[in-house]
Amino acid sequence: MTTERKYAFFLGCIAPNRYPGSESASIRTSKKLGIDLVPLEGASCCPAPGAFGSIDLNVWYAMAARNIVLAEQMGLDIALICNGCYKSIYEVNHKLKHNKELRDAVNEVLKEIDMEFKGTIDVWHLAELLYDPEIVGVEKIRASVKVPLKGTKIAVHYGCHLMKPKKERHMGSTEAPHWIEELVEALGAEAVEYRNKMQCCGAGGGVRGYDLAHSLDITNEKLQNIVEAGADAVTEVCPFCQLQFDRGQIEIEEKFGIRYNMPVFHYNELLGLAQGMSPEELGLDLHAINTEPFLKKVL
Amino acid sequence: MVTKNYPDPKLNEKLRDRYYRRDQSKPEFTKAVREISGTMAHMCYQCGTCTGGCPSAPRSTYRIREFMRRGVLGLDQEALTDPDLWLCTTCYSCTDRCPRDLAPTDVIMAMRNLAFRQDIIPVNFLKTVQAIYSSGHGVPNNDVNRAAREKLGLTRDPPTTHMYPEYIKGIQKILDHYNLKANADRIVKEREG
Repeated sequence: MTTERKYAFFLGCIAPNRYPGSESASIRTSKKLGIDLVPLEGASCCPAPGAFGSIDLNVWYAMAARNIVLAEQMGLDIALICNGCYKSIYEVNHKLKHNKELRDAVNEVLKEIDMEFKGTIDVWHLAELLYDPEIVGVEKIRASVKVPLKGTKIAVHYGCHLMKPKKERHMGSTEAPHWIEELVEALGAEAVEYRNKMQCCGAGGGVRGYDLAHSLDITNEKLQNIVEAGADAVTEVCPFCQLQFDRGQIEIEEKFGIRYNMPVFHYNELLGLAQGMSPEELGLDLHAINTEPFLKKVL
Repeated sequence: MVTKNYPDPKLNEKLRDRYYRRDQSKPEFTKAVREISGTMAHMCYQCGTCTGGCPSAPRSTYRIREFMRRGVLGLDQEALTDPDLWLCTTCYSCTDRCPRDLAPTDVIMAMRNLAFRQDIIPVNFLKTVQAIYSSGHGVPNNDVNRAAREKLGLTRDPPTTHMYPEYIKGIQKILDHYNLKANADRIVKEREG
């Protein structure tokens, strides 16, 4: 194993406060792959890009900058596990590094709390670190698997803010990416393609809070397409998408009378499962949708 | 044409009006949208690729292309009072597909920022602000989750502002700098008493 790389682990809200299993899975699976995720003490909400960005982009910049500065003070790059957090933390870091006028304005506000954005660190989604062969890579993930997820079909939901807008990211075309499928297949599962794969889960932009039925209708369309492809489970890399697909299925049943029972996993939970963590260690009992039918296929 | 049907009859009438009335055009609105969004919305040639790939369009009257046009024509009241403004999930599909390399999503965000300056904002957005002001988190911890965390070998509260509440003061100072908490409280109170 190569030398261990250290990152400040930015948790966000939904992972630690609703799906803590994906927090512990991320820490433990990364450790086995040479990534040390250390707590980013005092971090807050990223803040939610849909809510804060809609109200006042300047507040969004300043609030995200405070989180970034905490990591700058530790001298560590940030790693995170949520697409919404990625939009806030990655994008604001990038904007502040390259736009002096904006940086000066944000630093004027940060001065009130004795902080200064210096632009000394980078921000990464854990999924891209796992995929990067210079950091971890598919081969190393495959080698870490103890319980292959053989015989299962998994649909990948990329979510939006990891790769879009593409001109403010570095991951290429957002029409038909395939790299998370490679991460899934490294675990021994079959990754299935489905109709309109890159469609949003429906939760973002404040829509889940503004018009729940509208937002669930989008989720429902995705679930239909995923079922059509014969998937046994959905995997994503964003706890907000996870919440929308997982708890959303309960709400879809209440509102539309449609029941899917489609298990939903953060990729790091699947990785934990494949590395031999037990369902209890992964907190899978906290999911709204029972994961048993999927687990029966692999355990 | 899809007809809107909102509870306010005056709003309904205005949003049904398909004519461009020059005296309602505000060039300063076009300019403000451009400044906040950072995209040259006036280069939009109305091809509709944005609406075609929009997940919200097939299930509502929300048409991102129409908002692009309203921005260019300076129709601020049509843009800001239309409840559909809040149906964008910010998925950025339109932005990635725009043949003019514009960012319609950022136009929507700019319009929402401008709407907020007129107190036009759904309360759920403001409740997120209130939650962050008091705890640092938009989705805070609870007792069920604390017990679950403990079982997983994690700390009962995550090592964020939850475990280190001394950091909340800094967050409050930032939000107060923009007077955001006071405005959120005021608007929520006006709507919900």
